[in-house]
Amino acid sequence: MSIQNPFQDPLRFERRVPECVVVIFGANGDLTKRKLMPALYRLAYDRRLSAGFAVVGISRTAMGDDQFREKMLESVKQFSEDTKFDEDVWDAFAAGLFYVAGDIGDKDLYERLAKRLAEIETTRRAGGNVMFYLSTQPSQYAAIALGLGAAGMGKGSGWRRLVVEKPFGHDLASARELSDRLHEVFNESDVYRIDHYLGKETVQNILAFRFGNGIFEPLWNRRYVNHVQITAAESIGVEGRGAYYQEAGALADMIQNHLLQVMATIAMEPSASFRATSVRDERSKLLRSIRSMKPDEILKNTVPGQYGPARIGGQEVPGFRQEPGVNPESQTDTYASATFFVENWRWAGVPFYVRTGKRLPKRVTEIAIQFNQAPLRIFEDSDGAASAPNLLIVRIQPEEGISLKFLSKTPGAGMKLRPVSMDFNYGSSFGERSPSAYETLLLDAIIGDATLYTRQDMVEASWTVVEPIQTVWRNTKYNFPNYAAGTWGPAAADDMLAQRGHVWRKP
Amino acid sequence: MSATVAPDKILKELADLWVSLGKQGEGDGSAGVLRACSMTLLVLAEEADDLMSLGETIAALMPEHPARAIVVRLIGGNERALTERVYSQCWMPFGQRRQICCEQIELMASDASLEDLPSVVLPLAVPDLPLILWCRTARILSMPGFYRISAMARKVVVDSGQVPDAVAAILRMAVVGQSNVLLGDLSWTRLTRWREMLSQLFENPDYLSHLPKISEVRVTFGPGHEVTARYMGIWITNSLSDVGVPAHLNVTSAPDGPSLRVELDGDQVHVELVREEDRLVITVNGLSHCTNLPQPTDYLLMREELSIVRPDPVFDRTLASAAAHAYPTEP
Repeated sequence: MSIQNPFQDPLRFERRVPECVVVIFGANGDLTKRKLMPALYRLAYDRRLSAGFAVVGISRTAMGDDQFREKMLESVKQFSEDTKFDEDVWDAFAAGLFYVAGDIGDKDLYERLAKRLAEIETTRRAGGNVMFYLSTQPSQYAAIALGLGAAGMGKGSGWRRLVVEKPFGHDLASARELSDRLHEVFNESDVYRIDHYLGKETVQNILAFRFGNGIFEPLWNRRYVNHVQITAAESIGVEGRGAYYQEAGALADMIQNHLLQVMATIAMEPSASFRATSVRDERSKLLRSIRSMKPDEILKNTVPGQYGPARIGGQEVPGFRQEPGVNPESQTDTYASATFFVENWRWAGVPFYVRTGKRLPKRVTEIAIQFNQAPLRIFEDSDGAASAPNLLIVRIQPEEGISLKFLSKTPGAGMKLRPVSMDFNYGSSFGERSPSAYETLLLDAIIGDATLYTRQDMVEASWTVVEPIQTVWRNTKYNFPNYAAGTWGPAAADDMLAQRGHVWRKP
Repeated sequence: MSATVAPDKILKELADLWVSLGKQGEGDGSAGVLRACSMTLLVLAEEADDLMSLGETIAALMPEHPARAIVVRLIGGNERALTERVYSQCWMPFGQRRQICCEQIELMASDASLEDLPSVVLPLAVPDLPLILWCRTARILSMPGFYRISAMARKVVVDSGQVPDAVAAILRMAVVGQSNVLLGDLSWTRLTRWREMLSQLFENPDYLSHLPKISEVRVTFGPGHEVTARYMGIWITNSLSDVGVPAHLNVTSAPDGPSLRVELDGDQVHVELVREEDRLVITVNGLSHCTNLPQPTDYLLMREELSIVRPDPVFDRTLASAAAHAYPTEP
């Protein structure tokens, strides 16, 4: 009979973190340096990792363990934004860093990796658990999974997990094809598709806000909600990634994954429990309820855009087509907006306006839920202030928080109303540091909690919504550029909302 | 010294304070102040307590546990006397334009006026939020007015380590624990990282397989750590007993030894945890590793206690067992 660890105190102890080795493919890449290694170091700093924890970095660059440790030390020092560097913590953490050089297409790499993992198991007693993190080009995901399988690393004495970064395919067929390849080696329950938006504190707080409080849920439906606006704006351009970006575009890069996941979180039904399967089932159900549009609806309910040159803050900013590596005739969308409808009893008829773009006036990601007006206006409204709508705004970045806008009497004689804002700011209400999205998600994957990870059926549901739009956009020649850098996108996007008497907020 | 304190006057002073803070914000072009509050923290401290250090601890706690803090300084004496002072604790979070402020009220109370304290504190407590009582002095536990004060609280936090006689401390804690409040003991809080490391150790299946072989638990303690040692020993033996592993407990004093040493012994298994300055050294069958273990400050201990405002079954059970051990065994 197997014995359970009796020394538990869930009220006071952090979540139980099993021993494991994390194998990072693409260990010399930007994501590893900027996000993964600083997040892992922070977890070590917070004593969240087990004593035998180890990392094996893999990339083509030839180097030894010590050189890899040196490189990672530089990354941690440079990119750990709010973590004090502690020499002792680093030394203990670095002792568990190893490196294997090799080409992903080379069978020998996987054999050497297997040997290295066996050695690490002997010296560090990592419990036989291995998490493979694919931080490489998406085109290499299938090859890596199959390589691991062929070398017998898909199974072992402990658990095996595979973490993959977006994009999960470039359309429905390729997403299915990728899943099929991964499933040749790993079960779906062991595949963790990472969407770092879901790891953000405020996105998780949406669940707490909606399902931990009794007062909001009764309002959370078509009877009280007029419409929802989801905005993910970036002020920067493609920043030297023009060649990559022109293959992806805003719709596939942001809406298909991050924003539809955010929309699913804001609109999903309450789950029966906070178990990963229950939460993901509800999120998936919502994604499947989004109406897939026909071509004529797509033309009315979606707007692509591409930024043109402009002068911002006294500086000339190039248009997308003038960016290095970009085709001067490019039809890529650097802006995408769409009106989605959810076909269920809760949301029927409520428009969900989603927009994202590069070179917009500011970097901001937020969800605004606009409620219906009071049924009767009894107050004087000479300047329109008394008819300002009630808004609930969930800010995801840069300052995570929640604001409620409502009307209040202006002090003084007479009954004049003006909108006021009640703010909850995550960073300042709790002065404590929030963990980064990657810290949350990496720890969740090590623990085996997939609540914040995307499942195959969610990926397919998202593509089912997005692919028809992609097809129409590809088959239509747009008169790009259609918005100047530094503005809130094309005029057609304003017209899209105007059809229903709505206007985009200016966050 | 005035003999009475008017809660209404204090509340008015607090309201004025917020207006003035708001006006300061307007003047310097910043975004004003944000009032934050998640509880009322009532602190009972001796007059001789280092108030500067206490103030720093409360300020450090505020970012995670914003509270209206009411600090009561006990000035001894038989004359009924209460005085007050109101001020705020504000800080500007890094990279933000708006400062966060919490209220602080300071009261001076003679021993004789302790009975009057609830009538002042109750109106000052923030409505609908829990009141946490932090007793920085063990003396108050035996004062007649204590139970009237503790009855206002959702949770009472005490440091039983301050009581010179460990057995008396545990029995006193058990009595407080039987009243209708949640109880926290900093002697128990000091053990969290130790307990967590022991637990983490047995997450490893290899070590876990040796667990049934454990037959003896030895805890040795230095001066002032007897309650902590007893708690640790009881918690380990209770946990082992839950999985059918009976182990004999031996808690002994080692005046020249480290503050705490924990050993689990059995056939072919020896686990040892011992503090060496700021490190915890864990040894399993001769194989050692160290982990960072900073000295537990009041801030770290209270930060943990304030985050637990609900029943703590593991502590409650340990305290009950420790109290049962402290009583003479019935024939």
